[in-house]
Amino acid sequence: MLSSPGSSGSKDPAPGSPGLTDNRIIRIQHLTKVFREKNRSVTAVDDVSLDVIKGEIFGLLGPNGAGKSTIIRILTTLLTPTSGTAFVDRFEITRNDEEIRGIIGVCPQNSTLDVELTAYDNLEFYGKLLNVEEEILHDRAMQLLGMAGLTDRAHMPVRTFSGGMKRKLEIVRAFLHRPLILFLDEPTIGLDPDSRWEVWQQIEKLNAEHTTIILTTHYMEEAEKLCHRIAFMDVGRLIALDTPENHKRAIPAGDLIEIGFETMREGLLPAITATGLVKSVEAKDNRVIIHALNGSRVLPALIAVFERFSMPMTSISIRSPTLEDVFIHLTGRKLDTGSSVENSPGGRRQKP
Amino acid sequence: MIRGAVAIFTRDFKKFLSNPFVIVMTLFMPVMYLLIFGNAMGGAIVHIPIGVVQDQPYTTETPLFTAAVAQLKDFHQPDKPSMFDVAVYTSEEVAKQALSQGRISAAVIFPSDVSADLTVRVYEDSSDYMVPSLIEGGVSAAMTGTGFSHPVAFNRIYGKVDYIQFFGVGVIVMAIFMTTMMGGAFALIRDRELGIIEGYLVTPVKRSSIILGTIGSTTVRAFLAGTIIFIFDILITGVVVRGADDFLLVLLVIFIASIGVTSLVVALASRFSTQQEYASVVAFFNLILFMTSGAFYPILGMPGWLIWIALINPEAYTVHALRSIILRGQGLAIIAPDLIALGIFSTLAIILGIVTYRRTLE
Repeated sequence: MLSSPGSSGSKDPAPGSPGLTDNRIIRIQHLTKVFREKNRSVTAVDDVSLDVIKGEIFGLLGPNGAGKSTIIRILTTLLTPTSGTAFVDRFEITRNDEEIRGIIGVCPQNSTLDVELTAYDNLEFYGKLLNVEEEILHDRAMQLLGMAGLTDRAHMPVRTFSGGMKRKLEIVRAFLHRPLILFLDEPTIGLDPDSRWEVWQQIEKLNAEHTTIILTTHYMEEAEKLCHRIAFMDVGRLIALDTPENHKRAIPAGDLIEIGFETMREGLLPAITATGLVKSVEAKDNRVIIHALNGSRVLPALIAVFERFSMPMTSISIRSPTLEDVFIHLTGRKLDTGSSVENSPGGRRQKP
Repeated sequence: MIRGAVAIFTRDFKKFLSNPFVIVMTLFMPVMYLLIFGNAMGGAIVHIPIGVVQDQPYTTETPLFTAAVAQLKDFHQPDKPSMFDVAVYTSEEVAKQALSQGRISAAVIFPSDVSADLTVRVYEDSSDYMVPSLIEGGVSAAMTGTGFSHPVAFNRIYGKVDYIQFFGVGVIVMAIFMTTMMGGAFALIRDRELGIIEGYLVTPVKRSSIILGTIGSTTVRAFLAGTIIFIFDILITGVVVRGADDFLLVLLVIFIASIGVTSLVVALASRFSTQQEYASVVAFFNLILFMTSGAFYPILGMPGWLIWIALINPEAYTVHALRSIILRGQGLAIIAPDLIALGIFSTLAIILGIVTYRRTLE
């Protein structure tokens, strides 16, 4: 049943990304997962191929139901794909699932902590399941509790913890055996901003220990802050994969500049267009809304135009495109439907 | 106030109606209680196996023997079948052996001479509930029916056994069942609902280790519960354990029963996704298995269809084996059939438990 890991690696045709061959730690090839239920079938993952590079924080970003968690569940050997395959390190997900479970750490979306046990007992128990050597287990558990800022809570039942504390504990638990790869499925879902920030700090700390981290999220700010590369997913498909900067550069509209005014002067808008620096300009609700590539470079010229027309400005703001804008550009839809856009921290915050 | 109450009422009722399985079980249970409880307890005890012997020196059947055997075979309560199934033995030795092996409930020894001062001796298995007094009543009535006036001497071979001692042994089985059904399996379903089991699945721990750990921990709990009740039986009800080997034999029976019942329960807990569904099925199992185990009331007193259930009921074999050792001081030779039956049950249950539980881990 078990093929030698070396042979499974050499059989791999290594399509795409030729320059990355050596440092790819996860290779997903034409992965498809169809869930069948009686006379209905849902394609949760639709022919996805991508690579994850050793040492990076890789983000799977998309709305609920995009197939992010399904990919994580396949990579962590909880599900088998309908077709296609994936390699984690040098192991194939269906043939070498036991080896894979030895090198990954997983923090699933829904908590799997035993809330009746103490924080320390949770770690000790998992240490045994994860084959952490008995002699170092205690020190390792205490070290991780320190890392999560839970040292003084070590011997309290997890039931008494706040959501953020539980989440941090669960993340360090996945890191007990120093896995090569850490999977975090929606690590900050439902957390308040302070706790979210703390979890981010922790993820960066773990990444600094040369752990490859794969996280799913539907929070823009989270992906932007943490991820080296981001894969956008929508209805099971991979729609774009790049660094956050490149994603934003791909938006043709560029930066958004808004200049407030009290009274409009005839000829201002044509004069702005005439500078040749902007992509579009319109006036709306006592504001001039301008799209331009490289907004901060364009701004002095725009101010000059306003002065030429003797128009006092009441406010100026420049906003770079967010990942939200990228998603809207790619799909024509907002990332998350309904009110959750307003609540999500990656929403419409303006940069100073 | 009314609006809120109606909202809560509607929600609860909607949830109740959305689970037909639980509805059926809820209505089914009281009916089952009626049928099983009603029939298992207080039914007329009939067809009690007894042996009759005419004492040495044997020349020919005395009129007393002939008349008494006819009377015993014919003896019955109004509108009921014969109370005794009478077997004729050729010697007192053979009859007593059959009695000590539990094949008959009493041996009646008639004198070889008709002189009226000779005693009719009755040796009876006193470890069963109700049966000894029925035998005493029946034999006395049969003797009166013969017209002979020989005195009758009754010997209870296991001394006087109180109902609490009779029942106490059955409670050991109940303890095993309760611990696994209520404790072990609910914890298992809860762990699954909370996602704790799924957490195991992304660690390198082997699937077989998860199964072994789960069945192992519940088995040990059941075993401890059974053992504690056994010790209670000794301390409180005053049953006497005759030696270390009897004690160990009891522990062996408790252990085999524990692992079998635990595996069965793990299989059931794997089949049902919610605690509610599981609870209704388990209540049913608990009722039918415990009631037909003979823990409360002799199996002889149950109607035929319940006796059939008792025949395939592992708890009945457990109760019988434990009574044989604890109340009757019988050894391995007597309980071997019980152990074989329990062994078969436990093996099947373990296979079923592993296969069914494993499926939930895929």
